[in-house]
Amino acid sequence: MFDWSSIPIVFPKIVDGLQMTILIAVLGILAGFIIGVCAGYVRTTKSKALSSIAAFYVWIIRSTPIIVQALYIYFVIPRMLDISFNREIAGILCISINASAYISEIVRGALNEVPKGQWEAGYSLGMNKFQILFHLIFPPAFKSMLPALGNQFIITIKDTAILTVIGVAEMTYQAGQYAATSFNLVESYTLLALFYLVVISILTIVLSALERKMGVDRR
Amino acid sequence: MIQVCSLKKQFNNIMVLDDVNIDFNTKEVTCILGPSGAGKSTFLRCLNLLEEPTAGKILYNGKNTLDENFDVRQLREDVGMVFQHFNLFPLKSVVENVMLALVLVKKMPKKMAREKALEMLKKVGLSDKADVMPHTLSGGQQQRVAIARALAMEPKMLLFDEPTSALDPELVGDVLAVMRNLAKEGMTMIVVTHEMGFAKEVADRILFMADGNVVEDASPDVFFTNPNTQRAQAFLSRFIA
Ligand SMILES: Nc1ncnc2c1ncn2[C@@H]1O[C@H](COP(=O)(O)OP(=O)(O)O)[C@@H](O)[C@H]1O
Ligand SMILES: [Mg+2]
Repeated sequence: MFDWSSIPIVFPKIVDGLQMTILIAVLGILAGFIIGVCAGYVRTTKSKALSSIAAFYVWIIRSTPIIVQALYIYFVIPRMLDISFNREIAGILCISINASAYISEIVRGALNEVPKGQWEAGYSLGMNKFQILFHLIFPPAFKSMLPALGNQFIITIKDTAILTVIGVAEMTYQAGQYAATSFNLVESYTLLALFYLVVISILTIVLSALERKMGVDRR
Repeated sequence: MIQVCSLKKQFNNIMVLDDVNIDFNTKEVTCILGPSGAGKSTFLRCLNLLEEPTAGKILYNGKNTLDENFDVRQLREDVGMVFQHFNLFPLKSVVENVMLALVLVKKMPKKMAREKALEMLKKVGLSDKADVMPHTLSGGQQQRVAIARALAMEPKMLLFDEPTSALDPELVGDVLAVMRNLAKEGMTMIVVTHEMGFAKEVADRILFMADGNVVEDASPDVFFTNPNTQRAQAFLSRFIA
């Protein structure tokens, strides 16, 4: 039933894919964090225009499946703008845009949770808006959003699997290619699932250690 | 030092401060009394522009604070504020709470700022707590840290908004003692409080506010023995009872 001899062949392929998966997930979450912080922050400010733009952006992303976003970014946008992306760039764009929408909601919630008294204390000491944001608002907000951010990172890693539809050579793509040509579907996909399990489990352990170290209280 | 002229403040069509006119002088300790909802906090917050007045003028050393090119930040450096709920920075240690604005606003080197902060903590009786986190302190200790934090900026004036209202009764005394010392040293203070004993003993001047205005402006002797208005009489009778 289970063709053990296929394992040594598919294993290195999935390891190749793993590197791509991690590369895209890490770059995607970093870019997603930066965009998400900006989008989440402007939604807590009084600027109606910026806040509406950010809300519109979040609405679009949250209301369409990530697979459609991937297809759109890779096939439609290049055609409209008459440019071309390579698959990996399109993949990173897709992952970061998608993550940023969810992260912006996390950021918005965390920023709103910081008591208004922190702003008032900062202002009453003569601090300016940026000093207050960077020294008094972001640190506690970041601390309180750490569990949700970690969770988003886990979701993002799993989301990279859909990039297989635009041919990005991440883990799922590699396993799928091998399965299709060798017909060892059971072996390929079982090993693939095990890879995700191990990667996510390691990440989960690292994240909770990090949270403990930072004294985050998980509710 | 501060002149308030025809100050009005509206929150969504509700007139919270209605034409307040009052002057504050250097080295004077003013206590503001009055029922809850009278507009005391709003008034105090207008003085350092945490609230933007709807109409009227506030002059600080003769300069209109509502002028476009008035330096609001400088005003806030000069006029410190102590809040009912302390508003300490929870992720910073006690001494860091006191140092932060010295470093960021006064651009003081860290080492100097720390020395200055320790000096301020000594003044409020908390030298031994410099390196602990604020949440490990009692309310009274936290409020004294907040006072040290404001004092570190060497303000010309301090605003207190019900500094002891959030404290357990047995912790009120330590905070009032610190404030009493400040008054003795000649600090200009405006204190919104319900501590009648403190007001009677320390204040040079009592303002009684009701319904968005200052309805009495008197010395403590006059105010506590012979208040002019019925509202003040009614207010006081509740405290004597
Ligand atoms: N930010 C605000 N928005 C709307 N109404 C407010 C706001 N702040 C205060 N008020 C209202 O203004 C009135 C006076 O409040 P406040 O100045 O806090 O009174 P006090 O400090 O004397 O108890 C109250 O009726 C309060 O509900
Ligand atoms: Mg009040």
